[in-house]
Amino acid sequence: MKIRQTAIFSAVLLAALVFLFPFYVALLMALKTPKETFDSFYGLPSSLNMANFASAWSASNYPSAMLNSFLITAISITLIIFVSALAGYSIARRNKPFYNFIFIVFLAGLVVPFQITMLPLYKLGKDLGLLNTHWGIALIYGGFGVQMGVLFYAGFIRAISTEIEEAAKIDGCSTPGIFIRIIMPLLKPVTATVLVLNALFIWNDFLLPLLYLQDKAYRTIPLQQYFFFGQYSSDLNLAFAYAVMGMIPIIAFFLLMQKYIIKGIAAGAVKG
Amino acid sequence: MANLKRIIRGELWYVLFLIPGLALFTLAVLVPLGMGVGYSMTSWDGLSPSAKYIGWSNYTRALADSDLWSALWNTFKYAIVITILVNVIALLLALLLDSYLKFKNVFRTVFFLPGVISIVLSGFIWKYNYAIGIPNLFSYFGVELTSPLGDPDYALLGLIIIAVWQGIGSPMIIYIAGLQGVPGELLESARIDGANTTRTFWHITLPLIAPSITINMLLVLTGALKVFDLVYVTTQGGPAFSTEVITTYIFKISFSSFQAGYGTALSMIFFLILVIVTVVQISIFRRREVDL
Repeated sequence: MKIRQTAIFSAVLLAALVFLFPFYVALLMALKTPKETFDSFYGLPSSLNMANFASAWSASNYPSAMLNSFLITAISITLIIFVSALAGYSIARRNKPFYNFIFIVFLAGLVVPFQITMLPLYKLGKDLGLLNTHWGIALIYGGFGVQMGVLFYAGFIRAISTEIEEAAKIDGCSTPGIFIRIIMPLLKPVTATVLVLNALFIWNDFLLPLLYLQDKAYRTIPLQQYFFFGQYSSDLNLAFAYAVMGMIPIIAFFLLMQKYIIKGIAAGAVKG
Repeated sequence: MANLKRIIRGELWYVLFLIPGLALFTLAVLVPLGMGVGYSMTSWDGLSPSAKYIGWSNYTRALADSDLWSALWNTFKYAIVITILVNVIALLLALLLDSYLKFKNVFRTVFFLPGVISIVLSGFIWKYNYAIGIPNLFSYFGVELTSPLGDPDYALLGLIIIAVWQGIGSPMIIYIAGLQGVPGELLESARIDGANTTRTFWHITLPLIAPSITINMLLVLTGALKVFDLVYVTTQGGPAFSTEVITTYIFKISFSSFQAGYGTALSMIFFLILVIVTVVQISIFRRREVDL
């Protein structure tokens, strides 16, 4: 039994090392000079040298890309949470054919991937002036996110007892009043789920920014990385320093929010 | 009259609550889909203000387009191999991490980690790992390796490895959640009846986690069929068309060759394929599920 435990542990450890290997190489490249890399690819750098990071910082427009990514993610998620919670509440509390039909329309939308509609979506964005703005792309992310969002919120609200709401109604509380004072404070767990799942997707998305944010000033982190890597493909140490810099925010977010992300994925699977 | 007024008053807020969500959904999904159906019947170039109606010609042209068929073939090869590999590896890791393993939370984090970085990053990192890192490592053992991404026979496999590396996390979490729902008494009683680990797995665990298998198969397969970023940032469909998938082909036709009408027709065909795959898959797997 003891041998078997050790064997399993070693196998998992080996798999974990294989999974971490690309990160290790990226970090190694980021910390070394081109000469050190040339002399010995896997040798450790002679000193902890941050020069690559400093030059990557000045060669790129990292703060601007960070700000764009942050603004777009934040606006999109706020929109998604707000509209999904409202629609989810209506659907959960009015168990009538009309509302059920709307619910099914939202769900059916999930089978229409963005890759199918990219060209019309680009044309629409151009005609409506949504290109090269933070709010324009956020509206589109809002439209994508609301489908899953409604599914989560309607499911969560259905499980909340209606007793308090009925008492409030008798006391003369209006529907918006009930929603704001009674329902909203109860929605924290499901909001955390919707937030983390959308944050990962929107922060890392590449195709929609590629189409919608062609102006350099609006580039998000993945988009800026794409162009940076193209431009500095001959100075790999610099490019890898930038890659490591680009990873830091999302990995930090993942490590902090891990509990919610894992819960959210498991909950999403049950809903689906 | 008063009755009607009361109904409107009662219902009004609920309908108003639906409107913002429906408006965004209409903007981002319904209108583009409708426009797509319209454009697919035209010879629009993507730039000029007007488009000429040409009926079903784009669709008949697609049937004879051999590039489309090779792109579809590549897409399905890629997606099916990934679906199998990701599910087998994720389930295996989930089984190991669900047992009494030391540091299992650390391992779970490590296996999930590749999935949180953007595909632009993972594509870049792997491109140079393939070109320099891995050949350097193998040269210690005297093995000469070159990047699979440069070889038409292995480029698709190279992409599959990256996608598997990045795609294990979520399915693994879903399998772990599924395994935690398998009652311990059931496994216990099977063991008392003399079933070994393999038999318990095939006859008890596997049927009970069938819902997790269904959802993972579906998510991984449809996700892999829609692949775009990974191909776009690493191989751009090359070498020699060996990694051209349906989405990158549509992107090229629509935006680089200025055949937007034809591109949207291809999108509609791809949409139909996705719907069929989803429906077929759900009906096959749902039948195999058991309720406790």
